[in-house]
Amino acid sequence: MNEEERLIDKYGKNTGMKVPDGYFEAVFSEISANLPEYKHTRAVVEMTLWQRVKPYVYLAAMFAGIWLMMKVFHDASHVGDMSLDNPPDQIALAMSDKSIRDEFVMPDYSQDFELEDDVIGSYSDISDFERDFGYKFDSRYVKLKLD
Amino acid sequence: MSYSAPIDEKQLVADLHDPKKAHGAFDTLMRKYGEQIYWQIRRMVTNHEDANDLLQNCFMKAWNNLDNFRGEAKLSTWLYKIAVNETLNFLNKERQHGDMVSNSEDFNVLDTLESDEYFDGDEMQIEFQKAIASLPEKQRLVFNMRYFDDMKYEKISDILGTSVGALKSSYHHAVKKITAMLS
Repeated sequence: MNEEERLIDKYGKNTGMKVPDGYFEAVFSEISANLPEYKHTRAVVEMTLWQRVKPYVYLAAMFAGIWLMMKVFHDASHVGDMSLDNPPDQIALAMSDKSIRDEFVMPDYSQDFELEDDVIGSYSDISDFERDFGYKFDSRYVKLKLD
Repeated sequence: MSYSAPIDEKQLVADLHDPKKAHGAFDTLMRKYGEQIYWQIRRMVTNHEDANDLLQNCFMKAWNNLDNFRGEAKLSTWLYKIAVNETLNFLNKERQHGDMVSNSEDFNVLDTLESDEYFDGDEMQIEFQKAIASLPEKQRLVFNMRYFDDMKYEKISDILGTSVGALKSSYHHAVKKITAMLS
């Protein structure tokens, strides 16, 4: 048994203090009767959904603004580096696409008649062509004259 | 008549701020918590007449400050805070007027108790009250709330604005002092 329990055991929780009969009913009625006029004007207002989420929306908008601003500054500060030798990501990506590369960068050999003429003109025998390019023509074309 | 039935505190707070329902809601509030508040005050001042005056002042203050109660704390906590402030102010004034000099506080309590027609305790209860009265005021509040009302430390902490750890320590020391005084 600890000290608190010994106190409770010996002295209990009754203080011996009393109130007059019917005191509480009487005093509460008296206070109620003497209350001044209600003069409060401030009412409890339920917060709307927008009022509750407004701070979070503002916070999100602020972060989005900061992100956008940083992105603009970042992009603007890298314009000077843009070149074919040092292409930015978008150019590198475009270059990896064969159709774009063929269309805009690399010459279309199937349409380059000048190159064809050069190639044809530099060979008088088809066996020379086969040797240079490591290619074997079908037997039907072996007897063809190049010029 | 006091209310022991549970009340919808949120609804009661809303009614207290509604001019049409405020009087009725305040009456409910008094009957729900008034008795506990009275005994808290009475154990501090010991005299029924003083406790009665302070109880009425406490509820008048609560009524006049309804606007300041925003519902963040429990109604009972808010009322206890008002009652504690009223009681401590009263005791300070009494001490300043020389009616209750701290050095002779225990004898004063003894006199007050014995002369109060609403006290019918025996010698042991007078001795016990005398020992409690020897504690500093705030420690006496803590002791009364914990010993007589079995109030949780968290609630006492909300009322007095003191940490739970400090309250536990204060109560432990109060019990030791009272035990030493009575042995």
